[in-house]
Amino acid sequence: MKRKLIVSSSPHLHKDESVIKIMWMVVVSLIPAGAVGVFVFGLYAFWIIILGIITAVFTEGLIEILTKRKVTILDGSAVLTGLLLAYNLPPRVPLWLPIVGSFFAIAIGKQVFGGLGQNIFNPALVGRIFLMASWPKYMTAFTKPFDTVTSATPLALLKEAKFIEQITYLDLFLGKRGGCIGEVCIFSLLLGALFLLLRGYISWHIPIPYILTVGLFAYIFGGKTLFSGDWLFHILSGGLILGAFFMATDYVTSPLTAKGQVIFGIGCGIITSVIRLWGGYPEGVSYAILMMNAVTPIIDRYTKTRIYGTRCAK
Amino acid sequence: MKEIFRYGLVLALICMIAAGLLATVNSFTKAKILAQGQKEEEVGLREVMPEAFQFEPIKSQTGEILYYKASDKEGRPVGIVFKAEGKGYSSTITTLVGMRDDFSISAIKILSQNETPGLGARVSEEDFAGQFKNKKDLNDVCAITGATISSKAVIEAVKKKVEEIKGLIKQ
Amino acid sequence: MRKVIGEFLKGIIKENPTFVLALGLCPTLAVSVSIINGIGMGLAASFVLVGSNLIISLIKNFIPQRIRIPCFIVVIATFVTITELMMKAYSPALNRALGIYVPLIVVNCIVLGRAEAYASKQSVVNSFFDGLGMGIGFMLALILISAIREFLGKGELFGVNLIRGFEPAFFFSLPSGALLVIGLLLGFFNLFKAKS
Repeated sequence: MKRKLIVSSSPHLHKDESVIKIMWMVVVSLIPAGAVGVFVFGLYAFWIIILGIITAVFTEGLIEILTKRKVTILDGSAVLTGLLLAYNLPPRVPLWLPIVGSFFAIAIGKQVFGGLGQNIFNPALVGRIFLMASWPKYMTAFTKPFDTVTSATPLALLKEAKFIEQITYLDLFLGKRGGCIGEVCIFSLLLGALFLLLRGYISWHIPIPYILTVGLFAYIFGGKTLFSGDWLFHILSGGLILGAFFMATDYVTSPLTAKGQVIFGIGCGIITSVIRLWGGYPEGVSYAILMMNAVTPIIDRYTKTRIYGTRCAK
Repeated sequence: MKEIFRYGLVLALICMIAAGLLATVNSFTKAKILAQGQKEEEVGLREVMPEAFQFEPIKSQTGEILYYKASDKEGRPVGIVFKAEGKGYSSTITTLVGMRDDFSISAIKILSQNETPGLGARVSEEDFAGQFKNKKDLNDVCAITGATISSKAVIEAVKKKVEEIKGLIKQ
Repeated sequence: MRKVIGEFLKGIIKENPTFVLALGLCPTLAVSVSIINGIGMGLAASFVLVGSNLIISLIKNFIPQRIRIPCFIVVIATFVTITELMMKAYSPALNRALGIYVPLIVVNCIVLGRAEAYASKQSVVNSFFDGLGMGIGFMLALILISAIREFLGKGELFGVNLIRGFEPAFFFSLPSGALLVIGLLLGFFNLFKAKS
């Protein structure tokens, strides 16, 4: 009796994909960027990443047991949150920082809303913002690559209008610069992003408009006169690539339709640029994504597709 | 029409009683509030210019206080104290500055600020504010890491005001 | 007598102005940075609540229905101004810490809410105890919130540093931290209410 007749409701077409598989694939696609981060900043960065992941998984399990819900620590989403949070930390933060940040990200950013799929904001970024507001002196202390000497990030140097040391586009592209653990190596981030794009796990509708908007703003307003800004520098520095491909594209907190996603990406780009060029902080990727997370329901509402067979609403 | 007069009358009555009550309370507390303000100011003045004994406010023609002239027990002038205001990251930072006769800073005190806790708000701390002591060239004052805007606001405000006061004295 | 005690107690837990009625959240968010501020604000608001409840209940038959709100506001504003003058004269440090939120007690919805919903309909004694209960309930809520925020945000309680080497999370001193703390406490309150 191998050929049973199974009667089930729609949808009838299945794809061999699941939330669990996609989550783990995103984790895998992020490994090269983290590996370069550890290579550039030393083994200490590795422990930050590991602690971030362990705490995220532990917190998720603990809260789910306490609230008597299904324990979902193996679906990869907590691992991804912990990993992304650690990637967003400077390489020499005290080791309790990723622990506290991961706990906050999972507990307040995710579980308070009801777990995976219910959260309004990207949990990893919630954790990062919390750490940023709480311990700014650790979160703004960056080190030079291959060294433990503190130095500002390229964007911070730009903000203070200081002379930027000989830093080439190639350095920025390969990750030889100060910055957060996971954001420095653009090359390996793009590698991971390409993998996700080709497999169809993420679409170009958010990251590409996002990056183009930031580039355009930097070109128009970033220089001493209009239309003379260093757009490539702005695209390659900070957490833009990491944020655009891996955090703005979070399924739960971004719009559903292609049109909505383009709006989301452009919105992120505008906010990021405004913060970078005129704001108080040197970098604005995390704030931009969180702010656009907040308006995602509104975007969804106005870009809703017509249900097949119904008339357009008048 | 009759109603509206009744309403007016009731409201007026309540307001009159309230006003009378407030006037009474005010007459009791007025002197005390004034004294509190003066005491506070004096404490601040002493803090930034400990060597002085007496402070005499110098007023402009319109009556606002430009600066305080500080003198020691024998009445010899030792310096002046003034307020400097600068726009910080999220608030206007008001700083009280003591300046000796040789234009070196005796001390500064942040009177009011509403900067980010843990970053900009650290301008009030001794690590930053203490740097001003005995300095003539304020370019040596180091900004707080991560709080450049707030630190610069204080430094620039003090610098600007020092120049202003120098001009005033010359006149 | 039992009724009076009930009127007094309901403001503390069952109808707590902050956690159950969710009134007066603006000053709660703003001043709950330290316990001293919380107590100061709580005392000031309690004084205004008791005073205005008392007076409004006394003159309730005298006030025409259609102009009751302006009458209430005048009474409340009088008490607030008295509080502010007293604070300036005898406790300038606290006054500076509470800042604009002392005069803003005038528009605190707890005060006007109790005047409109309770004192203008009930006897003087009941109104007095209602005001007292609400005021103390508000103060207890403020103390709870500000204790959590002061400890996590500054590592201190009553301005005293408790644990050496504890690095406080400034987030809890910021308004966003206040929102989070109040939100979580409201959640716990609802949880206990649902259970009992």
